[in-house]
Amino acid sequence: MTSRIQRSGLSRRTLVKGAAASTLALAAPSLSPSLSWGQSKTLVAATFPGTWSEADRQIILPAFKQLIGASVTQSIVLGTDQVSRLVAAKGNKPPFDVAFFDAPQVIDAVRDGLISEYPVAQSPNFKELLPGAQDKWGPKITMQVIGIGYNPNKIKSPPTSWEDLWDPKYKGRVGLTALNSQLGIAFIAELNRIKGGTDDNFDPAFKALRELLPNVGAIGANLGAFATLWQQEQVDIAPYNFNFIQTLKAKDVPVEFAIPSTGPVGWSTSLHVVAGAAEPELAVQYIDLHLAAAIQEQMLKPPFDVIPTNAKVKLEGAITKSLAKSQDDLAKIRTLDWAKLNPQRGALIDRFNREIKV
Amino acid sequence: MTASGSRLALPLAALFIAFFVAPLAVLLVLSLHSDVTMKTWTIANYAKFFTDSFNYSILIDTLLLGVKATLVCLVFGYPIAWLCARASARWQSVLLFLVILPILTSVVVRTFAWIVILGRQGVLNQIALGLGLVDEPVRLLYTETGVVMVLAQVQMPLMVLPILTVLSKMDPNLADASRVLGAGEWRTFRKVTLPLSLPGIIAGCILTYSASITAFVTQSLIGGARLIYMPLHIYQQAVGANNWPFAAAISIIFMIAVIAVVAVLSGLARASETYGRS
Repeated sequence: MTSRIQRSGLSRRTLVKGAAASTLALAAPSLSPSLSWGQSKTLVAATFPGTWSEADRQIILPAFKQLIGASVTQSIVLGTDQVSRLVAAKGNKPPFDVAFFDAPQVIDAVRDGLISEYPVAQSPNFKELLPGAQDKWGPKITMQVIGIGYNPNKIKSPPTSWEDLWDPKYKGRVGLTALNSQLGIAFIAELNRIKGGTDDNFDPAFKALRELLPNVGAIGANLGAFATLWQQEQVDIAPYNFNFIQTLKAKDVPVEFAIPSTGPVGWSTSLHVVAGAAEPELAVQYIDLHLAAAIQEQMLKPPFDVIPTNAKVKLEGAITKSLAKSQDDLAKIRTLDWAKLNPQRGALIDRFNREIKV
Repeated sequence: MTASGSRLALPLAALFIAFFVAPLAVLLVLSLHSDVTMKTWTIANYAKFFTDSFNYSILIDTLLLGVKATLVCLVFGYPIAWLCARASARWQSVLLFLVILPILTSVVVRTFAWIVILGRQGVLNQIALGLGLVDEPVRLLYTETGVVMVLAQVQMPLMVLPILTVLSKMDPNLADASRVLGAGEWRTFRKVTLPLSLPGIIAGCILTYSASITAFVTQSLIGGARLIYMPLHIYQQAVGANNWPFAAAISIIFMIAVIAVVAVLSGLARASETYGRS
């Protein structure tokens, strides 16, 4: 009890107030929905900045409050940062109960014992997922795909291949992100593959990057800064994430998504119960809610256009226009070999920084 | 200091030891190990820093960035402080409010506002294009010029306030005496006002300098990923590359470099305080 009180930041005074409120709520049931101070259970859930934190806040959090009666504190952090924080907290209380990972972080987290196995039996919606999404370490809730983002006001004929970024007519107009983001690392890995490199040899990618630099107008240090580059029309063309483009489009930013001829590249995004979580049951309920068909249908609607993993959800909207007509098409999207890429991440970041530093 | 006086400082000292000295010690110990399990002692992280030009060029860039931002702050800040000190009481409070205004908003918000100002479609470029000063938008965002401009604005209060304090405490009779003795406005300023305000200038420079070189948010949002300064470098090593011992080592090196610069400036401040008394 003590730990729970400390956890939700409640002082004795607010607890007393809360108790009074609950008594009041019992006495007058009609008032109770608005009186939630008495609620002491709070789940701390990590989420990504941008599309996911917004979708969670608008769709998941209200539904969770209504169904489970507990509130959620969002911890908006990138996947790599989440791993760092969990590693730092090892042996102590973890900073959040639910981890939100892209495919590469799952491998690291399992290796370092940062997440616990997902209790499938306690998660009724789990079996509705596509077979590929039913991971024992935690269900895949969506897939993220990268392609070419471009400003349709400046670029009239949509780009058709990654090679377009090297076109001299885009001098100073190409954007990139630093390799600490999944977008950055996935782009460099795909570039390496196209240019004939292997997972052990990234020379082809970095040679191509050097040739691209004259065209590069800006390299965002983080994804938040990268979004503003589109809004400010600082860049016209860049590797970008399908969902981020949908979110920006909904804000009337002129940006469109094009799939390069070599095909889209993607990775799964999944939710996990953190090892030693303070609220493991709430964590499972929270994750399970993300799997429900009704919730995934809502997340699929604009401006989020989150790719579903529940087999009962029919694809619609922006996804069917550019990415996939059916779940079978989604299954064909190329993925990357993170088990091989992960150990090189540090070296790749370092090499990338040396190449781009002015 | 009396015994009771030093006892009053005990709570603050305890706070410093618990939340500043202790973490710093952990950082130092970590930087002297090869990995986070801290089994083997090594100076490899420091050797790695100084044998690689990529690393120390970042350190030099960062220290120079601080010099540039501090100079811009001083050039624009001194006249503001001078005006403030001479204004009537009512104007002084208005000017003071304007000087402090930047501190009242979050640094993140202010920095994003600057993105809107400096961008290709930004206010500055629109004005320059409208006036026909340039044919094509000037690149300001993601350049060092942009970073220096924003840092100068963001840190301006740290420069103005110490100078203002010194200027307002200055005895107006000194300037009058100088004039009576035949010195012109400029000579009075150069020989009397400026030297007497040196302690304020140096205090302002120390504050602006240390705030500018550690301004992670402003540096990374306005400078982008290609302009790597020490705070971003430390962040990338700690979080991106997960190399904590190396991140700890470069933090320690950075801190020592900053302390060295501040120590030199403080030495100048002490020397300047004795001006005119000897």
